[in-house]
Amino acid sequence: MDFTVDPAFVSFRTTVRDFLQNELPRDLASLPRSISSERSETAGWQRLLTAHGWGAPYWPTNRGGTGWSVEQQIIFDEECAAAGTPTLDNFAHKLLGPVLNHFATDDQRAEHVGPTLAGERFWCQGFSEPGSGSDLASLRTRAERDGDFYVVNGQKIWTSYAHRADWIFLLVRTSQSEKKQLGISFLLADMKTPGITVRPIMSIDGRHHLNEVFFDNVRVPAANLIGREGEGWSITKYLLNNEHASTAELPMLQVFLRRMQKLAGEIQLDGRALVEHPQFALRLSRFETEMKAVSMMVQRTAALHGQDGAIAHAMGSMLKLRATDLQQRISAFIVEMLGDYGAVFYPCPYEGPATSLPLQELAAGAASEMFLRRASTIYGGTNEVQRGIVAKALFGL
Amino acid sequence: MQFELSSEQQLLRDSVARFIAENYDATQRLALVKADEGGSGANWQGFAANGWLGAALPEQFSGFGGSAIETAIIGQQFGRGLVIEPYLGCAVLAGQTLLAAATPSQCDRWLPALIDGSQRLALAYSEPSSHGMPEIVETCAGHSPKGYVLHGRKTLVLGGPLVDGYIVSARLPSQPTSRGCVGLFLVRADAPGLSAMRLPLHDGTQAAEIVLDAVLAQEMLGDPDRGLQALREGLSHAMLSLCAELIGAMERTLEITAEYLRNRKQFNVPIASFQSLQHRMADMAAETELARSMLFVALASFFNDSANERYETVSSAKSFICGIARSVCAQSIQLHGGIGMTEEYSVGHYFKRAVVADVLLGTGTVREAAAAQQLQKRFSDARTGAIYARAP
Repeated sequence: MDFTVDPAFVSFRTTVRDFLQNELPRDLASLPRSISSERSETAGWQRLLTAHGWGAPYWPTNRGGTGWSVEQQIIFDEECAAAGTPTLDNFAHKLLGPVLNHFATDDQRAEHVGPTLAGERFWCQGFSEPGSGSDLASLRTRAERDGDFYVVNGQKIWTSYAHRADWIFLLVRTSQSEKKQLGISFLLADMKTPGITVRPIMSIDGRHHLNEVFFDNVRVPAANLIGREGEGWSITKYLLNNEHASTAELPMLQVFLRRMQKLAGEIQLDGRALVEHPQFALRLSRFETEMKAVSMMVQRTAALHGQDGAIAHAMGSMLKLRATDLQQRISAFIVEMLGDYGAVFYPCPYEGPATSLPLQELAAGAASEMFLRRASTIYGGTNEVQRGIVAKALFGL
Repeated sequence: MQFELSSEQQLLRDSVARFIAENYDATQRLALVKADEGGSGANWQGFAANGWLGAALPEQFSGFGGSAIETAIIGQQFGRGLVIEPYLGCAVLAGQTLLAAATPSQCDRWLPALIDGSQRLALAYSEPSSHGMPEIVETCAGHSPKGYVLHGRKTLVLGGPLVDGYIVSARLPSQPTSRGCVGLFLVRADAPGLSAMRLPLHDGTQAAEIVLDAVLAQEMLGDPDRGLQALREGLSHAMLSLCAELIGAMERTLEITAEYLRNRKQFNVPIASFQSLQHRMADMAAETELARSMLFVALASFFNDSANERYETVSSAKSFICGIARSVCAQSIQLHGGIGMTEEYSVGHYFKRAVVADVLLGTGTVREAAAAQQLQKRFSDARTGAIYARAP
């Protein structure tokens, strides 16, 4: 055990901070940072990073990435959140990226990496289906081989940002084997291919993130198969394993914490700022303490990445349980801090005409984020599924 | 940061774990508690012989030159075994407070005897109205021709019935009662005017309530301007040790409970097959790992922060971890059903330790209230809130 902070990380933080201070254009920054940026903002930010040589901050150097350690990646994310940068396309960076780096052919990488890091190719993830949520391996979207093509038929659902994505990575059934996991393959498809239809689903936060995606005799080149036919399930496990430390969504939690601190100083109750009331100060202080614990848990999870053993296997799930619970409680507390305005519906400017309601600047988006956070205990494997994983890995229950 | 134990740290952990395995099974522990002597003198000499009493004290005073990490490693294993000897009160709290307060020559005179186990001191700082917070001191020290004379009452002196002397915090003459100079005084346990009453605690450990009626102090430790600061430093180290103990206690509780769920059958199946119990265990494990993460935050503070920042961080960690430990240990009783309620079975004792821990060294609510006040002060210092615009 050694808890001294490596001076190299201190100077790395300064490097990132200086870069953001000098290179991040004002019109790209927003504070508090939005939870998911518009496509044009994300694309601009991606181009800027790529021009600086930081286009793939989470990938190894032999795949065109920065080769940063997990600790450096966390520092980078923290500083970006603090500076209010747009978010990146995390489907590309954190989910598909490791899969391309590990399973794809050189030709496949050559085709996709360039446009993705140029901010020209956005990705979405076609996993869930109407009948296949937690039981993902039961998926029924079919892909049948026809010469140099797969013909895809079926339906995906809960596909975030499919409406602005250029490409989709999806799981399809390529054979009816006895073990359902063995008949699954991993495909990439251009969203402009004839036969793909996207239908929006509005969620309870009043915004359009989610979609249904329909596949009707969609002809996908066989060259877009990643890995071997039938290897889709093991690729998926690899992909989900990579996701562990990031399920905490630490940068977003830090945004919540800053918003909470800002409101504590600005919202008045009985003529005094909220923070001057002991009950509010107590809750604020508890959240700050819990944030420290969750941040450390993120670092521990990252340090365990790639290791064997029960604790390494269960830690990502335990982190997800604690961090998503904190996301939900802290976002709900932010709404509570707004007082009467916590009950007011502030329409999202991206979804309709701009409004100007009282307290608009401080309050807009807070309730929307709180409603959206209800999804955090559902996506990425429901928290109930995570509890099953933990109980089995740690206790053999 | 490196979260894995080094080979040297592993050796320490293994040797403490071996001691627990050999000397602290449930039957041995129950016998020690029933003997009502606050643990065994032989165990204490064993701690000394293994170097555990001076693990985090400097080599120049015959210690072993370790840090808070060594304290945490020992504390964690002691927590697994629910050790009742006053390691926390005498070796950590009194030892570290003495180190922080005393002059080098005083350290030279006192620490070697504490480290080799031949003498024991306890820290008498809490009072009936202070609830474990060191700033609140009504006990006062007056001058006399022979030296300082102490008047007052001290509560929950950990290890108090088992010691040769006390370190007593007392307000110096001509200071207002709530703030100001606090001196730390050494007092012999058999000093005239001192009466001690034994206080048995729920967890089998022992404390004392002492009344000082014109007791002549042997000497003052160090400089009165630093008394309060030294108390906080001693408390930081002791709170850390207590946090580590609770992590060990939760680990062991989870192991015992998981084994019970696998063995206990109802409706003709092991109750471990019920999902409601599996999920409860998963949540308890996740809470325990969050608490362990908080312990690491506190440990990191020993290497990277100022003494004041460290005190605040460790205080918050203490109330945070105690809250989780109470909940995890209470749920372990529930998962056992009736057997968990019995005196002979161990899980109830882990819960008792968690309950006592929440009271020790500043009760959870009082420490949280102090943290909230500190946060208000930070806001009012910053006024505009501009300092929160950036990451740490």
